Amino acid sequence: MTTTTMTHDEAHHHETPKGWRRWLFSTNHKDIGTLYLTFALIMLFLGGASAMLIRLELFQPGIQLLDPDLYNNLVTNHALIMIFGAVMPAAAGLANWMIPMMIGAPDMALPRMNNLSFWILPAAATMLVLSFIVPFFPGGGTQINTGWTLYPPLSIQVGMSMDFLIFAIHLLGISSVLASINIIVTLLNMRAPGMTLLKMPMFCWTWLVTAFLLILVVPVLAGGVTMLLFDRHFGTSFFDAAGGGDPVLFQHLFWFFGHPEVYILLLPSIGVLSHVIPAFSRKPLFGYNSMVGAMIAVATIGMVVWAHHQYTIGMSLGAVTYFMIGTILISIPVGLMVFNFIATMWRGSMTFETPMLFAVAIILMFTFGGLSGVMLAVVPADMQYQDSMFVVAHFHYVLMPGAVFGLFAGVFYWLPKWTGHMYDEKLGKLFFWINVIGFNITFFPQHFLGLAGMPRRIVDYNVMFTEFNVISSIGAMIFGLSHLLLLYIIIKTIRGGKKAESRAWEGAKGLEWELDSPPAFHTWTVAPQIK
Amino acid sequence: MTIPEHQTPELRRKNLRLALALAGLAIFFLVTSFPFWSGLFKLVGNQAGQ
Amino acid sequence: MHPYHTYNKPPYRQRPKTAAVPNSRWRHVLLITLLMLMGLFALPPAKAEYGINFPQPAAGVAQEIYDIHMLTMTIATILLVIVFAIVFYSLYFHRKSRGYVADQNFHNSWFGHWSWVIVPVLVLGVDLTIAGKADAVLKEVWEVPKEENIMDIKVTGHQWWWEFDYLDHDIKVESRFVPKEESGDLYLREVDNRLVLPTGIKIRFLHTSADVLHAFWVPELAVKKDAIPGYVTETWAELTREGVFRGQCAELCGTWHSRMPIVVESVSPQKFAAWVDDKKQVKLAAAAEASADKTWSLDELYTKGKTLYETKCAPCHQVTGMGLPPAFPALNGSKIATGPLEGHLNIVLNGKQGTAMQPWNALNDLEIAAIVTYERNSWDNKTGDAVQPADVKKAR
Repeated sequence: MTTTTMTHDEAHHHETPKGWRRWLFSTNHKDIGTLYLTFALIMLFLGGASAMLIRLELFQPGIQLLDPDLYNNLVTNHALIMIFGAVMPAAAGLANWMIPMMIGAPDMALPRMNNLSFWILPAAATMLVLSFIVPFFPGGGTQINTGWTLYPPLSIQVGMSMDFLIFAIHLLGISSVLASINIIVTLLNMRAPGMTLLKMPMFCWTWLVTAFLLILVVPVLAGGVTMLLFDRHFGTSFFDAAGGGDPVLFQHLFWFFGHPEVYILLLPSIGVLSHVIPAFSRKPLFGYNSMVGAMIAVATIGMVVWAHHQYTIGMSLGAVTYFMIGTILISIPVGLMVFNFIATMWRGSMTFETPMLFAVAIILMFTFGGLSGVMLAVVPADMQYQDSMFVVAHFHYVLMPGAVFGLFAGVFYWLPKWTGHMYDEKLGKLFFWINVIGFNITFFPQHFLGLAGMPRRIVDYNVMFTEFNVISSIGAMIFGLSHLLLLYIIIKTIRGGKKAESRAWEGAKGLEWELDSPPAFHTWTVAPQIK
Repeated sequence: MTIPEHQTPELRRKNLRLALALAGLAIFFLVTSFPFWSGLFKLVGNQAGQ
Repeated sequence: MHPYHTYNKPPYRQRPKTAAVPNSRWRHVLLITLLMLMGLFALPPAKAEYGINFPQPAAGVAQEIYDIHMLTMTIATILLVIVFAIVFYSLYFHRKSRGYVADQNFHNSWFGHWSWVIVPVLVLGVDLTIAGKADAVLKEVWEVPKEENIMDIKVTGHQWWWEFDYLDHDIKVESRFVPKEESGDLYLREVDNRLVLPTGIKIRFLHTSADVLHAFWVPELAVKKDAIPGYVTETWAELTREGVFRGQCAELCGTWHSRMPIVVESVSPQKFAAWVDDKKQVKLAAAAEASADKTWSLDELYTKGKTLYETKCAPCHQVTGMGLPPAFPALNGSKIATGPLEGHLNIVLNGKQGTAMQPWNALNDLEIAAIVTYERNSWDNKTGDAVQPADVKKAR
């Protein structure tokens, strides 16, 4: 069937895209998905390298490697590159590849806008990297030493590299809003006949919610940084107390974006898990409807609890009580999601290939991160945790399993579909174990550091914090370097390997597994009929 | 593939309409993030500092 | 085309199955579980050498916070153990390699139909337990008690030092980090002038900032609060024991964020009274000296200025006067430090907008005169000016 489709399409397009034109002018969802994923992989290594430099500096007390501003600059860039450069584009890459194949659509609804939303990214990444390196040139001003939160008044003090960063954020924002619009339109208008919303694969549902979140919150961040830009150059004083402004306003704007952003990073990976766990448990997803409901609840509550990132700014008792209870309540839908995953595994017939290993690790470690999140939500106790290494440990335990491991699971799960080759299972498992053990050695000790009184984002620390920092840094080297193995596995799989069947995994369900591995350039040109 | 010819003109119009509506929503949030959000956060902010 | 129906022996199942493989896999699983749980269970008996939990509280609110921290951590640990137990049970028993056949109708049982109600209700129960306790503690921590004899300390964060104003005693303490040569193992946890506080009296901290955001954090006192320019935020504590408690600035405040330690010395009320008297004497003597109608010689001003410069100005402009361009310009050979005196006094007194240079007008005339004299006559700057306190007074 797919072979006939190919000839049919080629008859329409006299030239098959070749060379650089294939990528630069691509409107094909599979090619754009590949571009997104490649871009994310490159950024993963950039962000990872900066994280490893940070941990090298913290290996011992004293300032050995990085001067304090360079350290803060790396802290800022690590966060922005990982969030906007690695995780979001990787999730968008999965969406591009999988959504049309999953819902039986020939392509995304707006293919040319799809091209645009990817090709803004390299420009944005260039701006981001420039913001990092410009201070090293004469006249380049000071380095960005604010952290990714860009809080004024500190961000007003920074030199011109802050302006590069603001424009980079604008570009990244435009790109993700365009991608979100495309995904929503595709999901709402392009589903195969018979596929009602509640028959849609869970990955599509997670992206539908994520895309709506993006459209609602990214413009607010854009507004916030624009005001920052005006404060810096055009004499306004939105955030300048001396001019009648309010420095805390920026924090509200930032976290109105920043908290839902956590769910933007998390939800696509939850979607991946909803496919991986049933596939390797050989049993349908437990509680499809409650999963959809829980996800919508998480997104809704997640939009109105932003100020729990700012408990220490001195809000009124009423306000903090509201934000505390709201935040604690998020544990209900999130708990339900984790429960559904465990119930899917329960009484299944499990095998443990790499995607499933990651899925199990996510359930365990994400639960752990979620529970430390409940601890952080408690305002009086947060008076201690706030801005300490405990927070760093917490959000890495949420985002690394919750977002990054989910993407790894997705890549391993669908790699046979994309490339037509099975990846090397032995190497995959080796990567999993090194990666997960390295991760835990890195971040578990940071809980202790935070409780003992080490603030986050300091370049130098007292000798009392040495032991756990040494352990953490050693773990970070293992963790960081393990990703070279990931790169090797991916390249090896692209170049060859055991031929993958259409249904590469015994328990895999869904329309994408009805297609060849690798799928033809154009698929589902004739929509499948869903019963 | 330049023109998404797998889409009927009808579907194409429908897609564009929805995309424009969503873009409108995004722009609405961008624009209102200045006065509206400012006002709302000031309200919360005024309670700050007690 | 699609070998869906005949497909039951995928390639990944074809490796020879030996007992060794699951065993080694389980060793790893065991290892990582141990690693994660070990730490959690080791928490309550805190070790002194390198802390792994909050230090012993030294104030009433800190004790309450410590207790609620232990409560939530205990609940979290129990839940974690339950989740781990269920997952590992399932991982062990519901495996294809043990011949377990998937129960395709599990989600159609009564449990499958009602779990979406049961689970949220259970979680809600846990949430309410935590929130209820937290709410009670929160009220006490948040609201500063309204009492007549509460002691007010204004805490002002600067880049990169702390200023403590004892509003009831008219005393100002400037607190800066001590270089490694002098502080040794206490480096980054030791200051030149400590925040001395009495036990047994309620103390209200009023936080604000002179430049960017900072945050006052001493774990023994527990309450952390941001210092925000244009805002005054409040916290309070009542010290319950004597001792020296160390903390640090907790909100990223630029280059030397790591060099903003806070040291609280908690003393008995008698000792505190003696300390207050002592401070007042010193202050009177300094004021008398500054206002004395005397013309100071270049040497006197230079010596005085050197000490002041090295504590107050050198963190940015460096002892060498070379600064750390571009953030902190060099004073050595600078246009301002070698140009007209008015310009120099102006920037020292009023600071420079949009940079880390803040107004230094809280220093007295003599101190400013000494610093400016030092800056105009050190390194390669040779103006020969001996700036008098009277000049500073005029420039204010």
